[in-house]
Amino acid sequence: MDVDINSLYDCTDNKLKVIEPGYEGIPPGILRRMGKAVRIGVGAALPLIKEAASLDGFIIGTANGGMEDCIKFLNQIIQYEEGVLTPGSFVQSTPNAIAGQLGLFTKNKGYNITHVHRGLAFENAVIDAMMLLHDHPENNYLVGAVDEISAYNYNIELLSGAYKKEPVSCKELYTIHSEGCIAGESAVTFLVNGNKTNAVAQLLGVHGLHTTDIAVVEKQLQLFIQKHLPAGEKIDLLLSGENGDNRLSKYYTSVENIINTATARFKHMTGEYATVSSFAVWLACQLFQTQDVPSHMLKTQKPQAPIKNILIYNNYKGAQHSFILLTKEN
Amino acid sequence: MSRIVVTGIGVISAIGNTVAENRTALQEGKCGITALSLFPSKYAGLMPFGEIKISTEELQKKLNATERGVTRTSLLALHAFAEAIADSQLTNDEITAFDTALIGASTVGGMCLTDELYHDANKNEGGSAYLSSYDFASVNIYLQERYKMSGIVNTINTACSSSANAIMYGARLIKSGRAKRAIVGGVDCLAKFTINGFNALHILSSDICTPFDEQRKGLNLGEGAAFLVLEREEDVIAKNVYAVVSGYCNANDSFHPSSLSDEGDGPYLSMKGALETANITVGDISFINAHGTATENNDAVESKAMIRLFDRVPPFASTKSNTGHTLGAAGAIEAVYSILNLTHQEIYPGLNCKNPIAATGLQPVKIYQKRPLQHIMSNSFGFGGNCTSLIFSTT
Repeated sequence: MDVDINSLYDCTDNKLKVIEPGYEGIPPGILRRMGKAVRIGVGAALPLIKEAASLDGFIIGTANGGMEDCIKFLNQIIQYEEGVLTPGSFVQSTPNAIAGQLGLFTKNKGYNITHVHRGLAFENAVIDAMMLLHDHPENNYLVGAVDEISAYNYNIELLSGAYKKEPVSCKELYTIHSEGCIAGESAVTFLVNGNKTNAVAQLLGVHGLHTTDIAVVEKQLQLFIQKHLPAGEKIDLLLSGENGDNRLSKYYTSVENIINTATARFKHMTGEYATVSSFAVWLACQLFQTQDVPSHMLKTQKPQAPIKNILIYNNYKGAQHSFILLTKEN
Repeated sequence: MSRIVVTGIGVISAIGNTVAENRTALQEGKCGITALSLFPSKYAGLMPFGEIKISTEELQKKLNATERGVTRTSLLALHAFAEAIADSQLTNDEITAFDTALIGASTVGGMCLTDELYHDANKNEGGSAYLSSYDFASVNIYLQERYKMSGIVNTINTACSSSANAIMYGARLIKSGRAKRAIVGGVDCLAKFTINGFNALHILSSDICTPFDEQRKGLNLGEGAAFLVLEREEDVIAKNVYAVVSGYCNANDSFHPSSLSDEGDGPYLSMKGALETANITVGDISFINAHGTATENNDAVESKAMIRLFDRVPPFASTKSNTGHTLGAAGAIEAVYSILNLTHQEIYPGLNCKNPIAATGLQPVKIYQKRPLQHIMSNSFGFGGNCTSLIFSTT
């Protein structure tokens, strides 16, 4: 999808919703029956599927899958006291419905899996793909992540303190210093294989960890860099998942201090959700191509050209952290 | 390449709270599918379920798990997880090591708490204690925090094949060097969400299920959990080794969101692929723990796929007639049962099949028998066309 990352859309009611495409190629009858998570997942995947000469499977990360349909069905169970219900919402709400629908659309009988490990669902999907490509570098897989804002999970997350209680503008996200972020959603897909010739980007490493201890994050980050950044190379840009939640800023500050390079932020463009790191990887791929970082993203000075190595650090609710290192040769 | 072996197992289901209790029940052909006595549902008097007859409060007390926001799903997982790691004699240092992975599966997560979830999703004040416990990952995050684990942790949801994929993923993590050992498994507990979902699809039976019977009327939902400890054979010194995880394959049926194709391409490909990774042939399989849900669709298609792949279909049966269909736990529970088959060189009787499916003539094993077993295949097929087959072999 053509997206202009230089222009900013502001949130409405503290939510940044996806701009849905026209879904060409999906029969209207099928499109109508799809829940939003399945719809945006398929919508993000179809253009790549058209490009792919062959596909060996689908690997999707999603924390919640079709949350809107899930709670819609649950509400019916309560409201109709377990009466006669239609199964549509139930079937659409299972998280594996996205990868399942993609397999169905493409008549693809290969590997098909759905990782649902909350803030590391996408990272685990990426690790899965890396293992498959290590064994079969010639194969092509579609890796992606999908999560939707539904009225219901917004409510649950709001009650849990994940979102700001006061209405905010995306432009002031990093300067308010209150608890919580704004809500977001996306569907992001990548075509991956083991051949780096003509690739948009190369993945050097991905690592997820569960901790609330900053010292553990720092130590793991240093080990990660030592292991995955080639000798003599430097990180040209840190894509930081800083999200305006003052409870989490200590983690981001700590990582910035260690990496000590040009830093850019993106949650004012996306909001917060469990698989937002997938959008950060897409963004890194864009920046490799444009070799320029929009000023609204920059926290520091611009990175020095060329932008070759990008590190993404994301933190989900203070407990799940991930490092993703990408590179673009020449 | 070092082989991946199983050094610990744990299971809780409607037929027993431990591996030993489950084995005795399987030997005796015990059926744990009964009227509901704990779980409140409108369907309590209308259809039987594989319910574990221990209340959530009792589980909390027994496991000393009184943390705020712990769900029944997490408690069942903890029960089986604790048995598996004790069985494998894992030390605390091993459990907390950076190279110990935890891969779990669930399709219900905290959604068993229907009333709390309804409140928290719809009301704008007075959030419950379970705000962070509804998602699928909540189970493994609970285990990870309780045991202070620091390796790779992941949750997989591919519907009814979820925990078979968790086992496969754990084995692959070890093979790739990303983990030295992996604790793998799955859990689901009874939930209004799944009961009403499967009921709306008209695949729940009002009677006790009859896998592979011509007159089968559908499945019974059950609850349970199972975990396995996987290690590299070369790392295992002076401890019991149950079996080798020798084969696995994930394939997609790509036919329909909630039913399998007539030809059973997904089941055929997952079984065939598992044979290939195990580097064995059709004649080497001693027994198949079938998916065998007792739905019209599954048993017909699984039978056809077995006939398509095997020159002579090996002895097979479905333990879902003992436990009910435990969804995200089924693959792991049945992996434990397959390992028991191998360890004790015995086959447990499949229950309730009176007349074989006319179109295939395939009969599940109906009596307990001791016989030499070397390679056991375990099938798990789910919605979304997600099919996974595993093979466990003697050491």
